[in-house]
Amino acid sequence: MNTQKLVDLLKTWQVALLIILLIASVFLIYPHIEDEKFTTNLQYGLDLSDGTWLQMEFQAEVVGFETERPAEEFLADLQKKLDAEIYLIDDDKLEIRKFFPRDQLETVFAESGGRLTSYDQGVSKETAELVKKILEDKLNALGTKDAKVNPLTGFSGVSQYVRVELAGVSLSQAKEIVGKQGRFEIRVHTTGNATEHILYGDAINTVGVPTQQPPGGNAWGVSFTLTEEGAAQFRDGAIKYGATAAPDQHYLDMLLDGNVVYSAPLSTDLAAQIRVEPIRELYASTGSGEDGLNDAKTLEIHLRAGALPVEVKVAGSGYVPAALSDYFKTMAVVAFIVAAIAVGIVIFFRYREPAIVLPMIGINMSEIVILLGIAALIQQQLDLAAIAGLIAVLGTGIDQLVIITDEILHEGKVPSPNIYQKRLTRAIGIIMVSAATVIIAMLPLALMDLSTLRGFAIITILGVLIGVLVTRPAYGKIIMAILSK
Amino acid sequence: MGFINYDVNRYTPKQMVAIPLVLLILSLAVLGYTFATTGMPVTPGMDFSGGTAVTVFTSDTPDSLSATFSGYPLVSIGEGVSDGKYIKFGPMDDDSLQSLATLINERYPDAKIDQIGASFGETLQKQAAIALVLSFIGMTIVVFLAFRTFVPAAAVVLSAFADIAMTAAVMTIVGIELTLPTTAALLMLIGYSVDSDILLTMRVLKRQGKLDEKLAGAFRTGIIMTTTTMAAIAAMWAVSYFGNIPVIPEISAVLFIGLLIDMMNTWLTNAGIIKWYMLGRGGTVKETEDTSKAKVTPVKRKGSK
Repeated sequence: MNTQKLVDLLKTWQVALLIILLIASVFLIYPHIEDEKFTTNLQYGLDLSDGTWLQMEFQAEVVGFETERPAEEFLADLQKKLDAEIYLIDDDKLEIRKFFPRDQLETVFAESGGRLTSYDQGVSKETAELVKKILEDKLNALGTKDAKVNPLTGFSGVSQYVRVELAGVSLSQAKEIVGKQGRFEIRVHTTGNATEHILYGDAINTVGVPTQQPPGGNAWGVSFTLTEEGAAQFRDGAIKYGATAAPDQHYLDMLLDGNVVYSAPLSTDLAAQIRVEPIRELYASTGSGEDGLNDAKTLEIHLRAGALPVEVKVAGSGYVPAALSDYFKTMAVVAFIVAAIAVGIVIFFRYREPAIVLPMIGINMSEIVILLGIAALIQQQLDLAAIAGLIAVLGTGIDQLVIITDEILHEGKVPSPNIYQKRLTRAIGIIMVSAATVIIAMLPLALMDLSTLRGFAIITILGVLIGVLVTRPAYGKIIMAILSK
Repeated sequence: MGFINYDVNRYTPKQMVAIPLVLLILSLAVLGYTFATTGMPVTPGMDFSGGTAVTVFTSDTPDSLSATFSGYPLVSIGEGVSDGKYIKFGPMDDDSLQSLATLINERYPDAKIDQIGASFGETLQKQAAIALVLSFIGMTIVVFLAFRTFVPAAAVVLSAFADIAMTAAVMTIVGIELTLPTTAALLMLIGYSVDSDILLTMRVLKRQGKLDEKLAGAFRTGIIMTTTTMAAIAAMWAVSYFGNIPVIPEISAVLFIGLLIDMMNTWLTNAGIIKWYMLGRGGTVKETEDTSKAKVTPVKRKGSK
């Protein structure tokens, strides 16, 4: 091939686009040496980076209902019978923050003069987002270096699960941190040992670190703030049950999972302030010295831990240690290289012509580089399933290059440009149809939340798209230029 | 291709379709029997039935491992190459799981743990079934839109169906469990399987020339396609299996089996049906279905009977 031809080839949009994308991808992947270790911008999923994943199921449900009665009365009735928090999230939809099987709810709804029209285990999107935020805050506060929290929302818009991924944390630690989520509540003593509910953990807005009050003194405690509604609830409850009038007879209890973790009266100052207006800034003192500090630290965690509004149960979990994930990463690269060599050998065996085989392998590899570049760009995590997807892309990619080559080389002769164009169009036609089927076949997996398979599907779809739109048209041009020498 | 001695033109359509048809019926019988006895057409793995799997490299014997974990619902201990051990537990409650995780963390800090609760497994199973059905329907729609003629499109869909059914039957027989990765492989197979079918159908319907030549040409290209893919997958299987990597060996085993079956279904089932269809129409096809917009004069004369 002479220089003029090469320049002409580079000027075709197909080849130019391929080269631009290749260069861009190398920048996106950004292979470099950091701390004497080879690294890239690629994100690895949990199989390939050490850490733990936990998938937790909300012990709650979103139900549709019908009733002839005024909705408020109906709800009040349900609330009493089920003894659960119930929220109206739509005109005809309720979120019940406690787990009940469908048939039990049907009975209770019928008894209360209504009808259950739909049932999905989980919580509304808003509640799921709240849980996500709470978990994230909690994990960040505990110094977990890389935590991801994702509610998994189905087609119905109800989130049944929330998935947590923690880098560099063992499974038992992770469960300690996340799985054993407690429910926090503040109750007030009424008479004797009887108590009444004042607020739940979701009314707590922020929690401070243990501090000394007055600063430099020896008494420890934790400051925390309530939401506006929380402060109002706190005031109403305190006044209603007499905690402001006679603080010492009406201790306030903080409970985690029903166990009292802290109990103290309102200070006289605070009692006086609350009588006037709702107070959002509160401070729970825990005592002096080392013990006081330790109690304050525990209370801080309790106050944070209590914030989850819905009980969760561990549905699935997993852990990959650093040694194994590094090993898997190396082996995945080896598997990929061996697969590429195997493909090269078979292709060479078939065509026995380096002028065809080398561009084929080159195009195939550039397809993978561009795919990785896009994966780095969209921050798609690579896990073992995604690596399998990558190798699958390698397989379909080479398939389609074979189709193009055979279509053009029909009868072993190099066609004239006119016929070449027609044959290329026909080959692209075949490729389009089979690409469309692969994409359609993978679409359900990419859209559904079948955890690990999403990466596989997304990588496969992206790979097919890159192949159809960029690399295969470019291959058509390149092979033509090479053959018509 | 020197090393494959099958002549796609040697047999009549009936002969071609006979073998795969018998195998399809046998496969459906296997799946039906498994379904009747276990409630699932394919043995569900841990992802769908729930349980805990532990992967660890240790020189401890299976006996000492089963002694260590005697307090937990141990199901099986498998051994791989180079001291790889796969320990499986049945479903257990959160507290036992927590103590198991702690125990493993103490004894084998470098163990990989995967745990799926029973009800979560059921949800996954339901979703996987939906995904499989949706994929298949989607594929059918694309194929029918692409060909817009009933028999050729139906032949492609039928051989894709036969691929999935036979692969699933082989999985049951050789004991590959249905897990999330193998489900993905089955879905991938839908894509791969139609690849060569579409090549065959396009070549036969839209190229000019003698039917025999078109079939032989499609066969040459198709076989090279499938064998290259199989080479990539075999390499992937070997490295991942001997390297003790999870997930990838199952995916590649299913894909390999599926592609082998797909070769048969493409070049017997689909080729048989399309041959019968073309012979019934006198071996020629109207130009109207050509996807190429460029109307260039064909190099060859139209094929005649």
